[in-house]
Amino acid sequence: MSFLNNYAYYIGAFGLIFIGLYIILVKHNLIKVIIGLGILDTGVNLFLISVGYITKGTAPIFSRPGIDSENMVDPVPQALVLTAIVIGVAVLALALSLAIRLYQHYGTLNLRKIREQRW
Amino acid sequence: MVNPVLLIAVPLGLAFAIPLFALFWKGAAKYIPLAALAFNLVVSVLLLPKVLENPVIVFIGGWQPPFCINLVAGPVGVLFSAIIALVGLLVSVYALDYIKDGPTEKYHMLYLLLLTGATGVVLTGDIFNLFVFFEILCISSYALVAYLRDKAGIESAVKYLIQGAVGSSLLLIGIGLLYGQFGTLNMADIAQNIKSVSPMSVFVPMVLIVTGLGVEAAIFPLNAWLPDAHSSAPSSISAILSGIAIEVGLYAVARVLFTIFGVSLNTTPSFLLFLALLGVLTLLVGEMCAFSQNNIKRMLAYSSIGQIGLILFALAIATSYGVTGGLFQLVSHTLSKALLFLAAGYMIYQTGSLQISALEGMGRKMPLTCLAFTIGAFSLVGLPPFIGFPSKFLVVRAALATKETLFIIFIGLALLGTVIEGAYFFRVVQVLYFKGEKPNPRSKDAPVTALIPMFILVVLIIVVGVYPKLVTDVLNSAATELLSRTEYIKAVLGSIL
Repeated sequence: MSFLNNYAYYIGAFGLIFIGLYIILVKHNLIKVIIGLGILDTGVNLFLISVGYITKGTAPIFSRPGIDSENMVDPVPQALVLTAIVIGVAVLALALSLAIRLYQHYGTLNLRKIREQRW
Repeated sequence: MVNPVLLIAVPLGLAFAIPLFALFWKGAAKYIPLAALAFNLVVSVLLLPKVLENPVIVFIGGWQPPFCINLVAGPVGVLFSAIIALVGLLVSVYALDYIKDGPTEKYHMLYLLLLTGATGVVLTGDIFNLFVFFEILCISSYALVAYLRDKAGIESAVKYLIQGAVGSSLLLIGIGLLYGQFGTLNMADIAQNIKSVSPMSVFVPMVLIVTGLGVEAAIFPLNAWLPDAHSSAPSSISAILSGIAIEVGLYAVARVLFTIFGVSLNTTPSFLLFLALLGVLTLLVGEMCAFSQNNIKRMLAYSSIGQIGLILFALAIATSYGVTGGLFQLVSHTLSKALLFLAAGYMIYQTGSLQISALEGMGRKMPLTCLAFTIGAFSLVGLPPFIGFPSKFLVVRAALATKETLFIIFIGLALLGTVIEGAYFFRVVQVLYFKGEKPNPRSKDAPVTALIPMFILVVLIIVVGVYPKLVTDVLNSAATELLSRTEYIKAVLGSIL
């Protein structure tokens, strides 16, 4: 059980990443693919957070005197995740707006039916 | 001295100011990219002689590296930023008349953001910062591919977005793994400590990062988005995507491999051989697909894949000659392919069709545009006296100088690719000049705002083709910077070592 305790966040993060990749590769509906992208993003963000996480850690702020820096979590991955979330939101918003346009042109969101561009 | 941070700050600030300017005067939007890129070009050219002696390191936030985000304006960075500014400036002159329909101020804003992202990627010395600038580049190019809002554009943008987003997620996972092992995001600091962990544990992040960047650089199995996206974007954007975006992706691959992971001929020859194989495969697949196209923009897009393969192959030789040749080929591809897309843009505008057969007899109707197209095509094939000849010559010489049988076989295959390339470009030139006699009263040559950038590109192609010495010094020191990682580490971290 200690293995699960130590690595629960990593297992969860890579679980989300693989679920996201599976959805993107297998699903035909563009909205589902976009949901897959969202899950993939969340998995990556969780992974970045768990890189810097300490069990029972505190926020890295010297809010009162005598606070111990040993138990502080690493703030850098959190800053990275903040940026990554913003980028993820931008990509998802753009993807959804493209999905609206795609539906207006083709009347379907099924990616297997939209095949005008070929090699 | 000019601070290299202005190369990023000024265009970024102006890009977001465009909607504000457009509130007062709608016509102002199209002149702002012009001003920002002219500024960037001047600053890069002013910086170039200085950085050839010593790279300029900029600390942001007042801390020393590795604690701050730093910019590294070495020969590679400034050379690339100068090329980005030059081609960007010429294409924005072209866009003055070419982009008339749709929300033009959004076009100009996204266009400037795309080039800011590209400049940021080549100048940054921090691997997460590289990811952020890469995303600025990618997101604005997704949106610009869909600018025309037609069926093809939207479909290609969706494809591009899905593949690009998966690629950037892989890149971010790789960066997270590196941070977990080294506790730093500074490229020089990671490079310094990379030997302290087992090679297996850096192999996984290396593969993830190269795959992630490879999607944007269009390396062979990851390039399914490229022909669609490049052919359905507006021609000015195709020129930028083909001429700058994929080159910046390749730069990032080279920087990560050579500088951070220390890939070199002595330590990991088999990985370099694998990259060279990928390069040759990319080249052959691209050229053969281009040969079978009837659509002129798709043909040019596939030819970009082929050229990327050749550049990757040259970089994978990893000798000083090889990298110089690769960078030279990169410069020559940027100039020639931008010229080809710009010329093709107005030829398509005149005929209203993307088919090559529709271009019959254009040589008499649009003589100047067709001449520019022909020069671009000849240069890309590698005929003297154009810039493509010395660059291809350098790549061939570098491959022969390795004296390894495999590299010599590879360069043979690459030359076979060049023959195919020649075949399809000469076919188009033949259609332009020697076929058809359909009189078309409506046709006239491209407007002067399109002819000026094409003329400048033609002049550059011929001048550098005749006097390659003009650029080889800069390219040599750029290649040296890419290959000598200890110098890079010393330049960035020197103050605290």
